[in-house]
Amino acid sequence: MLTESKSVLADGTRVEDLINRETREVSMRVLHDRELYELELERLFAKTWLLLAHDSEIPKSGDFVVRAMGEDQVIVSRDRTNEVHVMLNVCPHRGMRICMGEAGNAQVHRCIYHGWAFKPNGDFIGAPIEREQMHGDVFAKSELGLRKARVAVYGGLIFATWNIEGPSFDDFLGEMKWYLDMLFCRTDGGLECVGPPQRFIVPANWKAAAEQSASDGFHTLTAHRSLMETGQFGNDEESIYANAPAMYGIDIGSPHGHSLRCIPAETTFSMFMGMSDLKNLGTEERLQLLPPPGIPKELVPQLKTHMDAKQYELLAKAPPQVGGMFPNVLIAFIYAPREDGKYGGALTLHTYVPKGPDHVEFLNWIFVEKDAPEQMKRDMVANAVRTTGTSGTIEQDDSDMWPHQSRAARGVIGRQGTFKYGAMLGQNKPADWPGGAYVYEGFTKDDTQWDWWQYYFQLMTANNK
Amino acid sequence: MTSSASAVSSEFGISTAARISLGTAVYNELLEFLHDEAALLDHQRFEDWTELLAEDLAYTAPLRQTRAGPGRYSNIIQAIGHFDDDYLSIMSRVGRLGTKSAWAEDPPSRTRRLVTNVRIWATANPDEYEVVSYLLLSRSRYEESDLQILTAERRDLIRRVKPGFKIARREIIVDQSVLGMQNLAVFL
Ligand code: FES
Ligand SMILES: [Fe+2]
Repeated sequence: MLTESKSVLADGTRVEDLINRETREVSMRVLHDRELYELELERLFAKTWLLLAHDSEIPKSGDFVVRAMGEDQVIVSRDRTNEVHVMLNVCPHRGMRICMGEAGNAQVHRCIYHGWAFKPNGDFIGAPIEREQMHGDVFAKSELGLRKARVAVYGGLIFATWNIEGPSFDDFLGEMKWYLDMLFCRTDGGLECVGPPQRFIVPANWKAAAEQSASDGFHTLTAHRSLMETGQFGNDEESIYANAPAMYGIDIGSPHGHSLRCIPAETTFSMFMGMSDLKNLGTEERLQLLPPPGIPKELVPQLKTHMDAKQYELLAKAPPQVGGMFPNVLIAFIYAPREDGKYGGALTLHTYVPKGPDHVEFLNWIFVEKDAPEQMKRDMVANAVRTTGTSGTIEQDDSDMWPHQSRAARGVIGRQGTFKYGAMLGQNKPADWPGGAYVYEGFTKDDTQWDWWQYYFQLMTANNK
Repeated sequence: MTSSASAVSSEFGISTAARISLGTAVYNELLEFLHDEAALLDHQRFEDWTELLAEDLAYTAPLRQTRAGPGRYSNIIQAIGHFDDDYLSIMSRVGRLGTKSAWAEDPPSRTRRLVTNVRIWATANPDEYEVVSYLLLSRSRYEESDLQILTAERRDLIRRVKPGFKIARREIIVDQSVLGMQNLAVFL
């Protein structure tokens, strides 16, 4: 149940009133309001688990990258014992930035202002001229370290939260973990991140991107219609919607706003292999013929050893491919159309980092399986760069749309408008469905995005403790 | 003049062969080629632009990353980029721009490509030239009065064909580690 809310904005509007649960609408005011934005920084970005980096970005002792948790910049670093730490990139002395680059390697992080020094785990080492005790006599050295966040590493993905006593990372994922394991924990070598993420700024509120990432399947038909028009998914007026990629499938939603779309093998086999009758194909055969996106044939045998029998079977029947993690992660582990008419894997994760109510930074990490053949890795990187992120022919259309939604919310009348989630499948889990969480089978609708907003408002109206 | 020029060229890791001086016939031809190329893109004549691309084209834009301390000048990330394209994929991008639903550039941006600081070197292949230029791209989108801006250095391999030239390689070294526009639905 929702916590009774005391959250009231300056003009008397209760945060709770920005969502209408009867008509399933969300006020467009959420895309513009500065007060609400500050509340989001407190109640979402300083509270939930946030994706920051991947293990393979900081392989060696002392390696670090600088990332953001909401508007707070943090250092993500690896210490000598191989443990990963996340700490505020702000000097406890007088607020200077500590790591000046975006990445590097250091066993000592020395503040360039007055020289206080810190270990890769954030501990305070000392200030210059030890005998003069330049760090003062008020605080013990143990109290002068960098502010540390709580860290969880899952499938090589590095998450952190400021909610030190809050729910565990496993609790946060809940029943979605079973599905996510099929993407992130499926081979011996695991995933490898290729270089740092692409980064660019979109003049839009972060939620325009984030609510779409909660598995908006429907926008594919129109926003991404150009991909069908170029013939990559069927090119005549008659078949254009029928051949639209994977509109029928199984959407998985979560009480914590995460989501995934499971796309039936029938769809992908007919799109990429020209086969529609799969009745006589067993699990092994399917996975060998058309492995999950990003998996080379030689790694298929490993899949079985990393998952339970039901996950393995689902991977062959309807593998999860796109979705999101609350609050600001997009997952795309897809078969990308290629200009040579073939298909290729593209594995990417995005985060949408808020930069004030009117801007969002888009980070795009591109992955390959560490043990994939070099040529396949090369091809997958190219596939991902050509379809997602900065110049991607799929996503360049999305990022040109979000600013218009945000702009609309600047108008007094515009912000009285709403986002509508009127089209629902409702939970209809098939009797033989192997996984948990909320299951919506059929033509993709608004269910998972509505779940996203439910959790958003649950956190935004929870009494601040 | 020659020695300082080759010192510059080796810094970029490109050919150390002879500098083609400003004002020579070859320099002028290549400069006109770059100007014409920019005009085709700025006038949205994408199909015509593809005529200037060689079929063995490599078209890339490595990421930049801010580094401090000892490694501070190694800030070009070759492992991943904003573009990772070849001839076929550029043709496919251009094909997509011609569809009815390529929203990122429909309505189109009004662009201006200012190409300056052109430096040219001969290579071992008498028909190919290393051409380094600076690019300032401004992009005017919708009714926004603020121009979106991108600056870069372009490292091209340009090949003489009959008639004219074709671009065989273009490496775009953008200056921002975080790009200030919502996409790169434009060519650089
Ligand atoms: S602000 Fe860092 S040492 Fe003074
Ligand atoms: Fe999209």
